[in-house]
Amino acid sequence: MVWLKEDDVMPLEIRSLSKTLGDFHLRDVNLTINDGEYFIILGPSGAGKTILLETIAGIHRPDNGRIFLDDTDITDTPARLRHIGMVYQDYMLFPHLTIEKNIGFGLKQQGVHPEEIKRLTGEIASLLEITHLLPRDPETLSGGEQQRVAIARALIIRPRVLLLDEPLSALDAITRRRMRNELSHLPSLTGVSIIHITHHAEDLVSLGTRSAVMDEGAIVQMGHPDEIFQNPQTPFVAAFTGMENLLPGIAGTSHEGKIIKVGNVRIHAISHHTGPVIFGIRSEDLIFSREPLRSSARNVLQAKVTKIRLMGSLAWVMVDCGFSLTGVLTVQSLFELGIDDGDMVYITFKASAVMVFPDEKWDKKELSLETRDDT
Amino acid sequence: MKRKSRFLACSWFKGSLIILSAALILFFCLVFAGLVLWPEPRALIDALTSEEILFAIELSLVTSLISTLLCAVIALPVAYALSRYQFFSSRLMGLIISLPLSLPPLVAGIALLIFFGPSFFGELLRTIGIDIVYTTGAIIIAQFFVNVPYLIRVMRSAFDSVNPRYEYVARTLGASEPGVFLQVSLPMSKQALLAGLTITWSKAMGEFGAVLMLAGATKMKTETLPIALYLNISTGDLDMAIASATILLAISVGTLIIFEHWFGSRKMM
Repeated sequence: MVWLKEDDVMPLEIRSLSKTLGDFHLRDVNLTINDGEYFIILGPSGAGKTILLETIAGIHRPDNGRIFLDDTDITDTPARLRHIGMVYQDYMLFPHLTIEKNIGFGLKQQGVHPEEIKRLTGEIASLLEITHLLPRDPETLSGGEQQRVAIARALIIRPRVLLLDEPLSALDAITRRRMRNELSHLPSLTGVSIIHITHHAEDLVSLGTRSAVMDEGAIVQMGHPDEIFQNPQTPFVAAFTGMENLLPGIAGTSHEGKIIKVGNVRIHAISHHTGPVIFGIRSEDLIFSREPLRSSARNVLQAKVTKIRLMGSLAWVMVDCGFSLTGVLTVQSLFELGIDDGDMVYITFKASAVMVFPDEKWDKKELSLETRDDT
Repeated sequence: MKRKSRFLACSWFKGSLIILSAALILFFCLVFAGLVLWPEPRALIDALTSEEILFAIELSLVTSLISTLLCAVIALPVAYALSRYQFFSSRLMGLIISLPLSLPPLVAGIALLIFFGPSFFGELLRTIGIDIVYTTGAIIIAQFFVNVPYLIRVMRSAFDSVNPRYEYVARTLGASEPGVFLQVSLPMSKQALLAGLTITWSKAMGEFGAVLMLAGATKMKTETLPIALYLNISTGDLDMAIASATILLAISVGTLIIFEHWFGSRKMM
């Protein structure tokens, strides 16, 4: 763990956490969240992200594993004594209470004097610029306003850790961008550590200092967002961070060097894996040309254009080169090359642009047939 | 041509349904208006202010309010438990609790009569000086027994519709379990509670079968409004019977209006 210095304070540490709840599972989750850190967990719906947060908050008791807050074991501490704040995607503002009462709820539980509650509520409201909302009812608020209130309500108890469950998903695009920016300032503003779970890869890029990717209840990769994007450890992470082209093949070594066979097509790749693999190529790494390119790139394939999709200034071009690939180029390049549906083109990509993952789920029977074909 | 004949068919269909509905509503209005208008107004007022009817009104009000309160005290926690916790077989428990709902009140009444009467438990109560049968207490118990399942059902479905995440958030904010119930789950179910209590009270006011069995029909003693109606119709005193009926009718109309006001068209029955 290069990103964790020895002398860092770790407010939250999760060790080998497991939990089964209905169809959802958490499998051996290990996490450490540093002081004032903004940590993102990325994963698809049903990956167990919400259960992880609820278990950290003390709503569910883990089947296995321990949770530490400031080096104290809080696994058996009830939720109300943990000082871990929670904000759900739908905010869960109490509909029968005004915004002021919603925000003050946590202080009321502590038996704080009503005058003091009023003062502290006003303080946090002005920090989050929602003072004008205080007398209103939750149902009259927009999504963005409700979210600020939910955050204020969680922050007023001065939690050590704030858990955000898909906080941006219910917002429109403009509000989402603004809130993302505001959320990123929360740790420096309040000193709270944040765990933010999301299924949007873009949240990872724009918010995270350190992040983890979850799949089927387990953490499959952890690291800085750049590292996760540039060096995904599994095909799942690659797909989830936006790699369009992911295909099965057989990796081996021939007189040309390391190659991957896909049907009758051979692709040059740099990889130490052999046998069945999943390989990936980012769409932006494909170069389109009318004539075969003379370049240092090792892979030049002839392909037929099967579909073109225009999105703004970009064109997504699907080609068939014995298998299907999707590339992206600017609309300007598309017109200059005069590429159209059904055209024959050349696609070029470097051997180093091919990411190779061992395919653990490969069917054994299929494997033996393919290898026989290969010899 | 084809379109026109289809339009006519549709119109004929729609028209006959509206006529049928109107006829039914007219029938209801005539029946209820006939009841109230049948006796001489003077005689009705005399009956309404008679000692017997005033006694019945008071007894009905007192017993129904106590039994409704009792229903609330028991139904709220039980409904919350059934809605939130997994214990024994919640499904089976739900079925047993709902049984008195589908049972004819007469059957519930005779079962109660045996339980508080000649059974071991009844004997036990009598040895410590408590005899329920044929008393005012019996009226309350009969009303409670028949109505508590209804209130449990209403409140259970109300608690079911409160997203548990509200409670989770309350817990992370420092609320204890009773605190979560009193400050979040219960207030969020307030509408259902008010509507449920109104209907429970109205049903208690009108409960006859179970009360008749357990409390008997003794004039000026266990004579609630429905019992007064029954006793007077048996002796042929139509004005007195209609007086009781009129009050019960007014209560029904009143609760219906309150219920609609709080609940709109939401189904709770």
